[in-house]
Amino acid sequence: MPTGGVVMKKWFQSFLAVTLFSASLLSGCSQEESSKTADGRTEIVLSGWGGNPTETKLLQQTIRDFEKKNPDIKVKHDVIADQYMDVLKTRLIGGTAADVFYLDAFEAPGLMEAGVLEPLDKYVKEDFDMEDFEKPLLQAFQHNGKTYGFPKDYSTLALFYNKEMLEEAGVEVPKTWNELQEAAKKLTKDGVYGFGVMPELARLYFLAESKGGQVMTNNKASFASKEVSEGLQSILDMRLNDKSAAQPNEVGADSGIEMFGQGKAAMVLEGNWAIPYLADTFPDISYGTAEVPTIGKKNTMAFTVAYVMNKESKHKEAAWRLIEYLTGKEGMKTWTSKGYALPTRKSVAKELGFADDPLRGALVAGASYATVWQDGPYLPIAQTNFNNQFLSAFLGQQPLREALKKAQKQANKEILINE
Amino acid sequence: MKKERKKYTLYEIGQGYTFMLPAIFVLAVFIIAPILYAIFLSFHKVELLGGPSYDFRGLDNFVKLMEDDRAKIALWNTIKYVVIVVPAQTLLALVLAATLNAGLKGEKFFRIVYFLPTLTSSAVLTLIFMWMYNQNGLINKLLGMIGLPGYNWLGDPNVALPAIMIMNIWSTAPFFMTIYLAALQDIPDSVYEAAKIDGANFWQKFWYVTVPQLKPVTSFVVIMGLIGTFQLFDQSYIFSKGTGGPNNSTLTVVLLIYQYAFKNLGTMGYAAAMALVLAIVILIATLLQRKFSKEETLH
Amino acid sequence: MKKNGAGKVILYIILVLYAITTLIPFLWAVSSSFKTLEEIVQGTINFWPKDFTLDNYKQIFIQQEYFPRWLFNSLFIAIVGTILNLLFNSMAGYALARLSFPGKKSLFILILAVLMIPAQVTMIPNFLILKTLGWLNTYQGMIVPSMINATFIFMMRQFFLNFPKELEEAASLDGLTRLGTFFRIVLPLAKPALAAQAIFVFMGFWNDFMRPLIVISDVEMFTLPLGLNTFKGQFISYWNYIMAASMVFTMPVLILYAFFNRYFVKGITFTGEK
Repeated sequence: MPTGGVVMKKWFQSFLAVTLFSASLLSGCSQEESSKTADGRTEIVLSGWGGNPTETKLLQQTIRDFEKKNPDIKVKHDVIADQYMDVLKTRLIGGTAADVFYLDAFEAPGLMEAGVLEPLDKYVKEDFDMEDFEKPLLQAFQHNGKTYGFPKDYSTLALFYNKEMLEEAGVEVPKTWNELQEAAKKLTKDGVYGFGVMPELARLYFLAESKGGQVMTNNKASFASKEVSEGLQSILDMRLNDKSAAQPNEVGADSGIEMFGQGKAAMVLEGNWAIPYLADTFPDISYGTAEVPTIGKKNTMAFTVAYVMNKESKHKEAAWRLIEYLTGKEGMKTWTSKGYALPTRKSVAKELGFADDPLRGALVAGASYATVWQDGPYLPIAQTNFNNQFLSAFLGQQPLREALKKAQKQANKEILINE
Repeated sequence: MKKERKKYTLYEIGQGYTFMLPAIFVLAVFIIAPILYAIFLSFHKVELLGGPSYDFRGLDNFVKLMEDDRAKIALWNTIKYVVIVVPAQTLLALVLAATLNAGLKGEKFFRIVYFLPTLTSSAVLTLIFMWMYNQNGLINKLLGMIGLPGYNWLGDPNVALPAIMIMNIWSTAPFFMTIYLAALQDIPDSVYEAAKIDGANFWQKFWYVTVPQLKPVTSFVVIMGLIGTFQLFDQSYIFSKGTGGPNNSTLTVVLLIYQYAFKNLGTMGYAAAMALVLAIVILIATLLQRKFSKEETLH
Repeated sequence: MKKNGAGKVILYIILVLYAITTLIPFLWAVSSSFKTLEEIVQGTINFWPKDFTLDNYKQIFIQQEYFPRWLFNSLFIAIVGTILNLLFNSMAGYALARLSFPGKKSLFILILAVLMIPAQVTMIPNFLILKTLGWLNTYQGMIVPSMINATFIFMMRQFFLNFPKELEEAASLDGLTRLGTFFRIVLPLAKPALAAQAIFVFMGFWNDFMRPLIVISDVEMFTLPLGLNTFKGQFISYWNYIMAASMVFTMPVLILYAFFNRYFVKGITFTGEK
């Protein structure tokens, strides 16, 4: 027992030492709230989610260029590792959000309505050339006649097809949705599915609206209509009747593009992000891209992200100068130069020549007619419920209409609680 | 000494609260205060973004809760989960601890192996399991080797919840085993000696000596198990990408609370109401547990 | 223990079977961390990599310039936090089990009740409190709110309920105060429980994801889980990297355990068999 006592005493002493040490450390690194750096520059914070190493380098390059041109401003780049919107919303509530941050078009209506974003129109000067942006992409960040953000880049969906598989099966690249269905049938064999599909609203939204249906009407979910079911039916036909379509986890992949890269799907609808991914991960695959097969008319999805300004920012002038540079012709050119993202400015796209790129051409072509992934403040609610139920219809566990009705009812209930 | 005995109660008060002081401080500032705020929220329609606005709605949120089908499904899923996982992990933990404590050769090796899941972060474990549950993953391959059909563990609503259950029993049983082991070491040898003299074999000793001796700890293990399983969130969030699908099969109460609290900030008050109801459900379950194992008195 | 042939065999069968069940996932993860991406993608089940490579580990250290800093942050927070927890939880648990004072029962119920509220609803108010204190992006913001843990107060209470009273009575006859008795007699004897608690609390800090995600926005103040998650986001479906990163993340805890394991064993010899 006595040894125990001595040990304990020592233990307690070391505990005290550590506490004192930590206390001194803590007071040493107490928060300096001032946003001026030692050399008198104004510090502004830019928040975003992480990208792959090449993207991170490109962004840092762009920021350095900006700092060189604006020696009075220092930019702190801050990465939110996960659950971006949750963290961002929490910080906005607490008044500690960054001066400038990324915002996905999908989430933009909620934040624009909440009034936490700074309208940017009054800062815009003539030479910024707003007309230069692809119009639908810019409109995603406009609300009640005000512009809250400028899109930094975008991607549409295009048809990615495995050249060898198509050749082997003697199939032409499908131009219409019917041709796609036929091609998928022929391409399905030996554990390979003709068409890899992500059963998610973000990917299927344009199909859902292809027969005249509306996913949302007046900020209420309305996707249980006959028209929406008709639009989506072809996906279910392929999965359940033709057995020519599957979702990634049915073949042990995590994403549509992984499924495609592994050679388990001959065709998928994917975006620009897939091109560098395939180059890195599956360099041997020989593939091509084409515009999404038409259903009556051309259509596809467009996903876009903007830089927006925090309304509570203490350095709005500096923050604007950063946005102006990042979404201006020069900054955007640096950022999109490697083709990791597509430029939202027509002039930059032209200069970089992506429209003539054999792989990116189909993606760029989609920009003019794409449906932007955005539909009012309650699309996130609709999406959660849609995905939850559509998946079970996709697996053949309940009829599509019934699944959609359930999802719609629940979504509208939740929207009601919101109002 | 004598003087102090007079003010015995005052001394005791001081003494008790000296011991409790750090706990009370942290509880008050970082736990009770936020909970009080959450209670306040549950009676309001809240908009926190863009300058908080609170609109008093009385019991509105609670009434809506009663009509919420998804809340019912979530509660039902959670209860299924609790009823299977808590007994399974408690029993497994107890058996493993007793076996490890039996003084067999090589016990040290097994002890180290068994601790592994406890020492690994749940995020890492979830990753490892997701990868094993993959359609082409290890588990299906192993099942195939012994001639059983594989499942789409992550995508099939019929097996998604059991897949999470298996993983959770596997990963939390060793945690409780550790606690049982520590407790087993506190059981005085004399008790076993007496049983041995009475001619008890290993299982009899386990059942008639070990189990009763461990009652306070078992009570802890069960209550912690109840609380932990009722609050299942991480795995179902990761498995279903936050939707709780397919067809609500992995929707748990806390996942639903999370959806209301964060996916749309206008439903924060509703989320808080749901959290309170969940707390009451857990409280009832805990009280039932204490009724059943009435051995333990507040002392 | 007298050997009882059949019983012993059954015990060994249980032990071995469960050991296999436990080890497989780990061996699988370890082996994957030494495989090339091509081999991973093929999806064969060989535990020994065909193309043994250390590249995955190299990549982690090359790609993450802040890695050493994150490691330091995580260790610092976890170690200081664990020491504070051991002390405060044991004190509170002891008081709840052994001392009599007014309000004890309510405090105990309060501590239990606290456990029942899911963290998801208290997250935002918690954030607001830390902000008011100016503790965002600081070590104290990470440590102080978690320097007690209701679970382990509860656990320590259950332990002390079983504690032999005679020892404390002897100590008080020797003229030790309650605090003296607690530090000199009770805590040393509670070593097995403390060792178990130390590992779990350390693990709790080590793995904590939600708190740092919200409290820390400065890359330099990141903890390992945040850093790893950034990494994971960059390398979706690069299972070889993810598994290697997971192993790097697990190592320090294994080392800690190797250290504390002695105390578990000591605990046995203290009161244990013979």
